[in-house]
Amino acid sequence: MSLLINLRNVSKDYGGTVKALESVNLEIDKGEFVFIVGPSGAGKSTLIKLLYREEVPSKGQVVVLGKDLAKLRRREVPYLRRRIGVVFQDFKLLEEKTVWENVSFALEVTGTPNREIRKRVSQVLTLVGLKDRRDAFPNELSGGEQQRIAIARALARNPDILLADEPSGNLDPKTSLEIFSLLERANMYGTTVVVATHAQEMVNLFKKRVIELRNGTVVRDERRGAYSS
Amino acid sequence: MRFIGYVFSEAFRSLWRNKLSSFLSSLTTGFALFLLGISFLVSINLGYIYTMAEEQMEIQAYIIKDATANQIATAVDQVQKIPGVSTVKYVSKEDALEELKVMFKDKASVLESLEDENPLPASIRVKTSSVEYIDKVVEEIQTMDIIDDVIYQEEVSRRMMSIGKAVQYISLGGMVAVGAVSVMVIGNSIRLTIDSKRHEIGVMKLVGATDGFIVGPFILEGMVMGIVGSILGAVFAVGIYNWLFEKIYEVIPFMPMFALDAESKLRMFGIMAITGIVVGVAGSVISVRRHLKV
Repeated sequence: MSLLINLRNVSKDYGGTVKALESVNLEIDKGEFVFIVGPSGAGKSTLIKLLYREEVPSKGQVVVLGKDLAKLRRREVPYLRRRIGVVFQDFKLLEEKTVWENVSFALEVTGTPNREIRKRVSQVLTLVGLKDRRDAFPNELSGGEQQRIAIARALARNPDILLADEPSGNLDPKTSLEIFSLLERANMYGTTVVVATHAQEMVNLFKKRVIELRNGTVVRDERRGAYSS
Repeated sequence: MRFIGYVFSEAFRSLWRNKLSSFLSSLTTGFALFLLGISFLVSINLGYIYTMAEEQMEIQAYIIKDATANQIATAVDQVQKIPGVSTVKYVSKEDALEELKVMFKDKASVLESLEDENPLPASIRVKTSSVEYIDKVVEEIQTMDIIDDVIYQEEVSRRMMSIGKAVQYISLGGMVAVGAVSVMVIGNSIRLTIDSKRHEIGVMKLVGATDGFIVGPFILEGMVMGIVGSILGAVFAVGIYNWLFEKIYEVIPFMPMFALDAESKLRMFGIMAITGIVVGVAGSVISVRRHLKV
């Protein structure tokens, strides 16, 4: 197994006295599915942000896909992000673009040839089961459908890593199950998946590796764990 | 190639999608550039009036009675060589009398008596390329042997010089001020467009778009709005100027006004278009940069 994500003594503060993360050590291998759990304010979102270099650590080292992110140059960041898909609680879809355009946009702005775009968009929309809604606009879709579009967009480039920050935060339990199943499916195709979540039942149901954060530190790291020990 | 195609299709798609706001931005830009054009027209008019006045400034150097033709020719040559001198004209006694006759056509009989013994002195008439040379030129001419006396509008030339400087400063200052205002107006309207796309820029960054892909379409949009704005502004400025020109001419026919020729129209449009494009592009880049910080 090769190491895709490696955090060494990582601390992060946003200038105040409170540390969002403190001395976090973490290793995630290729092909893993990892839940990050913990109460609000425990540092889950900060951890996710460090992984796609939305934030840089105040101390310590974050190595993702073999790159030390603190040393990564500004113009190299886009190329890192092309290998990492990110999904959020609020979907972050573009309202004035159709389902198809939302996904193709991600490929278009990274310079993918048209033929390749058509092929990939068609594939991922099939994967998330929304190919027949390709011409709909986001506001015509349910929350669950919108999140599936966001996942399709994140997977369009066939990334090495898929990050999700509270992907079911706005969704009912049945829809949440669909979303987590989709993430699991992506994992089965070989993508490493890291999900920060509050959804206890889902964590308990899927029985994956669970990392629990409290006040910015890792208090538990369990194979096939549950939401709480 | 892929990049250029993307930039063009995205820029024009976005302009078209936001037809109204694109048009309003162009119109605002056009208005700011219109003001710039008007200040340009005012400045060329001030300059025009000034050069017209300047052209009428003439130095008359009277020649002593017993100067030989040779001496005169040498003097004309020497004057020609003084820095700042543009034209030198020798006016003989006979020429001077002819001029006088033309001036007093209806009283020709009075002048006839002068024919026998012409009292008018021969002179050299000198024009300088600019009023600022007059003092120096006069000084030099006065040192010449065959020159009797030098007459020029001393007070007028001094005043012209200070007015000339003022005209330059005022028109330059006006253009700079109006230019600065148009920079702010255009920059602001582009910033509004970009602020409305903050969300889209966020998504582009998230999926790994390089800065070029993010900024490119905005730069082109800014350019297009700058060009459209400068065309609108130029059309208005020329239209209003020509209208004013006719109206003023009807009332005060002798008012010196510069009739717009193709070259000055082109120059004005050039200034407006370049300002529009530079400001459009700079405004886009600055505004997008603020949203690009990783």
